[in-house]
Amino acid sequence: MSSARPAAAATGERIPIWRNVKAIGVITQVVFVAVLVFAAVGLTVNVTTALSKANLPADFRWLGVRAGIPIAETPIRYTTNDPYWRAIVIGLLNTLKVALVGVALASVIGVGVGVMRLSANFLVRTVATVYIELLRNIPLAVQIVFWYTAVLLPVPPRVNNPIELPGGVLLSNVGLAFGFPYPGERFGAWLPWVAVGVVAAVVGYLWRARAARASEQPLRVWPVPVALFVGLTAVGYVIAALGSTVREGAHVDFNVERARGTVFVDLDGTGRRSPGDPVVPFASTFVRVEAGELRTATQNLTESRREVPSTFRFPRILEREVERVEVTFVDAEAAAAAGFRLHFDAFPSRGVIYVDRDGDGVLGPGEDVDPETGAGFGGVELVMTVRGFERAIVADRDGQVRIPGFVPVGTAALGQDAAVTPATPTRGMSVFGPVGVADASAAALEPVGAVVELRPTGPLVWSRVHLPVSGYEGGMRLTVNYLALLFALVIYTSAFIGEIVRGGIQAVAMGQREAAMALGLSDRQVFSLVVFPQALRIVLPPMISQFLNLTKNTSLAPLAAYGELFVIATIAANQTGASVPIALMLIGSYLTISLLFALVLNVVNDRLALVER
Amino acid sequence: MFQVIPPRPAPAGAAGAAAWVRRNLFSTPVNGLVTLATGGLLLWAVGSLVTWSLFDASWGQVWANLKLLAVFRYPADLLWRPLTVLAVVMLLLGATAGAARQDEILRGAFWWVSGFVALVALVAVLAWSSVRVPWAIAGAAPFLGYLLGRARPEVLRALPWAWALSLPLGFFLLYGVVPGSGLLRIAPAREWGGFMLTLILFSAIVPSFPLGIALALGRRSRLPAIKLFCIGFIEVVRGAPLIMWLFMASLLLPLFLNTDPNNLPAIARAYVMITLFSAAYMAENVRGGLQSVRRGQTEAARALGLSGWQTTRLIVLPQALRAVIPAIVGQAIGVFKDTSLVFVVGLTDFYRVTETIATQPESLLITGGVKLELYLFISVVYFFFSYRMSVASRQLEKRLGVGTR
Repeated sequence: MSSARPAAAATGERIPIWRNVKAIGVITQVVFVAVLVFAAVGLTVNVTTALSKANLPADFRWLGVRAGIPIAETPIRYTTNDPYWRAIVIGLLNTLKVALVGVALASVIGVGVGVMRLSANFLVRTVATVYIELLRNIPLAVQIVFWYTAVLLPVPPRVNNPIELPGGVLLSNVGLAFGFPYPGERFGAWLPWVAVGVVAAVVGYLWRARAARASEQPLRVWPVPVALFVGLTAVGYVIAALGSTVREGAHVDFNVERARGTVFVDLDGTGRRSPGDPVVPFASTFVRVEAGELRTATQNLTESRREVPSTFRFPRILEREVERVEVTFVDAEAAAAAGFRLHFDAFPSRGVIYVDRDGDGVLGPGEDVDPETGAGFGGVELVMTVRGFERAIVADRDGQVRIPGFVPVGTAALGQDAAVTPATPTRGMSVFGPVGVADASAAALEPVGAVVELRPTGPLVWSRVHLPVSGYEGGMRLTVNYLALLFALVIYTSAFIGEIVRGGIQAVAMGQREAAMALGLSDRQVFSLVVFPQALRIVLPPMISQFLNLTKNTSLAPLAAYGELFVIATIAANQTGASVPIALMLIGSYLTISLLFALVLNVVNDRLALVER
Repeated sequence: MFQVIPPRPAPAGAAGAAAWVRRNLFSTPVNGLVTLATGGLLLWAVGSLVTWSLFDASWGQVWANLKLLAVFRYPADLLWRPLTVLAVVMLLLGATAGAARQDEILRGAFWWVSGFVALVALVAVLAWSSVRVPWAIAGAAPFLGYLLGRARPEVLRALPWAWALSLPLGFFLLYGVVPGSGLLRIAPAREWGGFMLTLILFSAIVPSFPLGIALALGRRSRLPAIKLFCIGFIEVVRGAPLIMWLFMASLLLPLFLNTDPNNLPAIARAYVMITLFSAAYMAENVRGGLQSVRRGQTEAARALGLSGWQTTRLIVLPQALRAVIPAIVGQAIGVFKDTSLVFVVGLTDFYRVTETIATQPESLLITGGVKLELYLFISVVYFFFSYRMSVASRQLEKRLGVGTR
């Protein structure tokens, strides 16, 4: 061909079209494009006819329709009355919530495992190797369901019976909950200080970095910017906290019967929250209940593969929150006849009833079941009488404050609820209690007498977890679904990252290490100044692609029933039938995420690339 | 003139078990503490796993449901068909390993797989009377094949064709011929499942291979239309997770083809999607190989007068593919693990059977359920195969010197 060309040119003879490379190329492409266009047109026709035949939407109008999808984890406000677009936004936020935390944790654990893999200690090395090999070679789907089951199984199934971990962390099958700081009234006054702190830290870093470059001596760069940031934000926090305040016009609308209240700004002055009144999120409140009763009955439960007979559970109340508390049987005579006694696992909220057969005054083995039937004592009614209950509660983001559902003392004995009408609220402080009593027989009832008081808040307000009725309130709450997915993703990805880190460290030429040691650097300096920077260059690109993998793998969330983008899109597609628009949206979202990662990867590669001369 | 000094024994404390322990476990006080802490943790973990498996776990449901785990609801009287396919595949594997027995990596993989099959066959012969004979044949097939391959190495030439034929013929036998009853009746695809389905879907790596090569070549094409299409396909497919594509397959493929969803068995949809998905990743692997072939090779080939196609086929591709074999094995591990996602299209693969078993009335009677036992069991099986593949991949890497070049 190429040899024929000069000859052809010389004789002026034209190359036949079937041997002309250019012509073949053009023809091939034309044919290829024609086939593509034909296929595309065919598919479009098929899709449109199929869609119209099944009467399915092909546009995005359904986005504005009420979704009605229940979502357990909502980073922004959401009810089932909200439209589809909001549900999908929440899905996206939930994806990010898993992906970002997952990437951070997986990097830390992965680097740790990678370094362990090179440890001089045989045992450590072996454990790291087994960890990596085991977790890389089991499908992520299996790991997710495994953790979902394994996390769920050993934790108590009832939310008012959580495992209490140090630091006020509570764990039950609803999830993990812990205290968390939320922005208070003076948050806005503190923010400028934080901004100044960041700017000062950057300036400080640049200044120290320049000094370090100019200096002959090794110089620590980091202490200065860190100190600047911490110092400025701390000073700012104290100054902002001096002006702690209650939101102007804030007011609590509290209903004892429903054991809940709303903190809001009373714009129209009705004393009740009307639709136009804005709620006050994260308001600090203090609740006092003069006297009240809670009732429950014993149950025979199965928890963590264990039979737990004759168990009773009240809403979680701590001993230090009350002035006086006692738990008694509703039917004291019957209980005495049966010989029932109380044993507390956690006074005064949790315990079992038993019959003290051996007479030693404590719960012994087998004493919590009926020896004849082998079954526990179920359905025995108990009452907890509480006086002087006090609890500081931070309202949630919807301004809601909840307490256990106390009823007036004496209700249990009467066996009926008293008619209760709340009093007229006063501004700032609300006093409610049953003032008007309709029924003459209920005259013995002692009013609950709940007092709710608003307290000033500074820049941040520490929200503690509490369990008013059947779920966690306050603090930060992570569902088991989230935890299981996060756990599995982090562990799976960390195994891959560990292997990348090991490879990266080993890829740094031995001579580099030896030369650094010959220069008299310490082991730590050899690692941090010579090996680590070079390993980082090798490690980062594959690591970023692992981060992308982790993010894409969040789509395995249906296995842990966690409401992220893919799950919500699937539900929306099934509900609306708008499969084509949802497909486009999903592909668009994932491609955007992938492109973002590719962008980061390119920037990192450019920054890290060796400057070759 | 010179007198050879006999080698002296290593100084006391530098050799022997005690020295090894000191060097590797207790070299410094910190190291000693780390050893004790790690050892304690390890003992606790292994100990609790062992005590749990021996005393607390209820393995009865796993043992009772091995048929479901293996083939799901495939008709019990037709089990000889998948077992025949297994026997033929094992025969081919044995013949391949026997004929190419100087290849240690292939041989290692062969012993591993045939050992597994032989073990299951032994259990079958002892415990499952209904499938005793076909299992015995399947268990013996790899070794017969190995002997055949050793005795007649010339079969190696026919083997590629045999392998290529075995895939469609295997599907054909699994599916059946005649509707109604009889030995060759059709076993509807919705009854397929279990580990058999996992392996069937895993075989999607085979068609994805030529497709991936085509895409990789297309991506390097001089023709902008083809190049653009290939780049677009590869990047879009790789940009979204497989689970989403599988979901799309169940929603969109019937729309695209404008047919009733029932006309497209879920297996076909999943198979097509896994093939396409795997092809996009395969293309990127192959592209890496193509880039590693030096320019001089192409130029030399052209100078010899080979055409563009001949250069690609005879010079570039053989070198490129050799270089990326480890990467392709790595990808095979990925596909093997990813088959567990086909629950999205309603298939019951090896992983998904566990959900079926866990919701059986017998399982629900057991306090705490049997999920952990089931997950542990399938994890062991998944690990067995993936780990073996990753070992092979590492051996190949070493042989090709990928890491050291």
